[in-house]
Amino acid sequence: MNPITADRRHFEDLALGEVVALGKVTVTKEMIISFAREFDPFPFHLDEEAAKRSLLGGLASSGWQTAGLTLRLLTDAFLNKIASAGGLGFSDLKWKRPVMKNDTITGTGRIIELRRSRHHPQWGVLTIELDMRNQRNEPVMTMKLTNLIETRTQDVVVEEQPEHPYDVETGHRP
Amino acid sequence: MTRWFEDITIGEPFPLGSHTFTEEEIVRFAEQYDPQYFHLRNAGAEHSHFGGVIASGWHTVVVGHRKMVDALAAEEERLRGLGQEPGESGPGAGVNRMDFLSPVRPGDTVTYTLVVSAKRPSNSLPGWGILTNQLSAVNQRGEPVYYAELIGFSRLRDFKMPLRLRILGALTKIPGLGKLLARSR
Repeated sequence: MNPITADRRHFEDLALGEVVALGKVTVTKEMIISFAREFDPFPFHLDEEAAKRSLLGGLASSGWQTAGLTLRLLTDAFLNKIASAGGLGFSDLKWKRPVMKNDTITGTGRIIELRRSRHHPQWGVLTIELDMRNQRNEPVMTMKLTNLIETRTQDVVVEEQPEHPYDVETGHRP
Repeated sequence: MTRWFEDITIGEPFPLGSHTFTEEEIVRFAEQYDPQYFHLRNAGAEHSHFGGVIASGWHTVVVGHRKMVDALAAEEERLRGLGQEPGESGPGAGVNRMDFLSPVRPGDTVTYTLVVSAKRPSNSLPGWGILTNQLSAVNQRGEPVYYAELIGFSRLRDFKMPLRLRILGALTKIPGLGKLLARSR
């Protein structure tokens, strides 16, 4: 028994279609420049004049910062309340609109897939679809995030089904 | 890529360099963006199936992005050194898939490689091309850390704005008419 996750919701406690409301965060100029300096030093994320001349039309956060802030909101609202056993990745990430200086982003997550791991009965796999919006309710980013979650009961027969394309423990493809 | 769209070779591996992850930076990233117990210090990471602290997958991804930005800047310098005018890359459009394949632990060194697997001129952004970028990351034992497929933009060198778009562009500058045209599109 994992003492850290024992009291959290497990695989069996989640429902398909469940909606998670995320908190919100306002993206300041200082946040944009500090993230860009470390991870995305394109001139259009560092300098307001260069940003105005770019496709973004003004100082906007790195798409990766928008994703990171979304992950933080998801961790606070959901991943730290379930018996999360780590991320498997994500797909269909779309940056729909730049997040401009002083925009406030929030959003929802919806569980769109729940299945047991065939080879690892101690885990289930959950996919949550995220829909992030700005303060005008305009979509800024969508993605599907896939995460492992601990199961409570492990003597369940699992039907033949598609598996994740690698072994989670060793990182090797079959 | 900081080459003109026309100069980007499909399938050519573009080495982005390596990064060694320290526990300090793993924890610092996690505290800001992914504060789950197996990414933090003194939070019980030893109870997880990882058996200790591992980097957030997203941390390994944004470091890979940083390596790409640095490599593009270096390529830009190289082209200038040859007396050529470098191209221009635009903001990313999205990620088709990102598979985290094995955990990154403190002290691990991750090596990143970019391959452009497809390109085509953009329909929605005249003058720009759309690239399919394959990014792979492997650790010092040669084990895959992640594999990703991203969509990016690169500017076309040989582009002339079609007459229709030039007229439309001029019309949108007339006060009142611009908003009307934008709405009708």
